[in-house]
Parts: sequence; C-alpha cells; structure tokens
Amino acid sequence: MGLKADMKILVVDDMATMRKIIKNMLGQIGFTNITQADDGSTAWPLIEKANKEGVPYEFILSDWNMPKMSGLDLLKKMRASDEFKKTPFLMITAEAEQGNVVIAVKAGVSNFIVKPFSAQVLKEKIDKIFNS
Amino acid sequence: MASATNFIEFSRPFINAAKNVFETMVFTKLEPQKPGLKKSQVSNGDVSSVLGLSGELTKGGDTIEYRAMLVLSWPYETYFKVASAMLMETYEEYNDDIADVGGEICNMIMGNAKRDLAVMGYSSNMAIPSIIEGPKHTIKYPVGTTVVEIPINSAHGKMFMELCYAEF
Repeated sequence: MGLKADMKILVVDDMATMRKIIKNMLGQIGFTNITQADDGSTAWPLIEKANKEGVPYEFILSDWNMPKMSGLDLLKKMRASDEFKKTPFLMITAEAEQGNVVIAVKAGVSNFIVKPFSAQVLKEKIDKIFNS
Repeated sequence: MASATNFIEFSRPFINAAKNVFETMVFTKLEPQKPGLKKSQVSNGDVSSVLGLSGELTKGGDTIEYRAMLVLSWPYETYFKVASAMLMETYEEYNDDIADVGGEICNMIMGNAKRDLAVMGYSSNMAIPSIIEGPKHTIKYPVGTTVVEIPINSAHGKMFMELCYAEF
C-alpha cells in the first residue's frame, strides 16, 4: 500500500451496518486508524476537535443521505472553511443518478462511490484521490 | 389499478439491483423464482425491511402519479447468514448489531433501481427504510396497491421480495 497505514480516517454514516462494512474494507486495504461518526452533525465537531488538537483527519468517507446533516452539507461546511478546504472527501451514496455526481463535484468532492461496492473498488477510488 | 405492463416493467430494475447488491456486498448470487400475487398481509419472513417510493411516470406524453413499496423479507436463518456475510462476523440471533442490515440492503436496492427507473420515465422520491421483526408479522401495504411476491433462493437460504405498485 502506497499510503500510510495509520492515515487518520473518519467514516460517517447513519447506518451502523454500512460503517462496519466500510471499516472492514478499509482494514482489508491496510488502514488501521479509523474513527466513526453516525451523522454529519456528529462528524463536524470531531473534525474541528481533531484539527484543534493538531491531529486533523486526513481523509473523510461520508454517506450522502443522513437525517440531521447530510454528507453534502458536511462537505460544503468543510469546503467553506480554510482549514478543511483541501481535506480529501469521498462521498458514498446509494443513489446512482447522474445529477448527484454533478452536485457533489460542484461542492468540491474529491471522488464519488455508489453503493454497492467492493473493497477493490473502494481502493481504486482512494488511489485516485491520493495519486491525482 | 396499475397496468400489468407498467408493473412488470417497474419490477425489473429492483430484481437487477437486488442481484447486484447481493453479489457485491453479500457475496452470493440470487435466483429469483416465479412471481405471484400476494393477498395476505402476513409476511413469509421473520425480518422485513420496508421502503416506500412515490413519484410520477411520464410515458408517451402522459404523466401519471404512482406509489410503490419495496419489501424484503427473510426467515431468521437466512437473515443471520446474510448479516454474517455482509459484516464478516457470525450472528446467530437477532440483535441491535444486525437490526439495520435489512434496511441498508433495501436502501441500496432502491437507490440502484432509481437510476434505471429514471431512464424508463419514473421520477422517484425515496422514503427511509423501516424494519419489522418477529414471526408472522404483518405488513401494511398502501391502499389500492397490487402486491407481487417474488420468492428468491440463494446460498444463504430463501428470501422474499415484495413489490406493490399503483397508479393514480
């Protein structure tokens, strides 16, 4: 694996099942430093806190549809702040419509993955984000 | 009453999406069996995931409203095996750890089906999935909808896909 195994990663999804699947996949790829949040609204304070402590998250994987703060709103919030303008952000969604991709790209997403996906596809998306 | 042609056409993306979701995330192939009309509200499974969908169908210059629901039902044994495969841990009883597995599967199927439905002229608004658990539980179908049940075989056991659909 070209990327460092202890890269600080935050997985954001309201469904515990999906968080566990993504964590398992990231583990298969070789990543070890993974934190979870169950909504954009719980992810944001974690992101801010980690940054204040000098150990910011280096990669965010977030679901799109969440009840309190969507992945899109979390992305917009991050891109609107100087600190998180360039934090790699992979958007995960169950909805495969083209319109969603356009919206996410306009908001500054680093890449986009549609459920269902395999660990191999996730790895390819991560490689694209960090090698482009 | 929905036209039979529209119902058949409407159901195809869900079957294709279910096959894709199970092959990718559950590592098993699905074998859909012959569909049949379902008259009873009693589920054939012990765990059901239910997701509503509504929108408009634009076809041949006409626009009609439709309402639909996707239900996936699993006997406990199948549900535990599916959850175990998806989460890479062994589960032998129903608990909070696997309570949203069915909902996530339903969500992915509906999300994938939406793309094909859009190509066919269906606009669609997805609801949030809910789970019903317990032997012989009942499912409340939207009034006026026709319910079709598709038994599905897999290496993890039998499951059931139900689709109800109505045009207004």
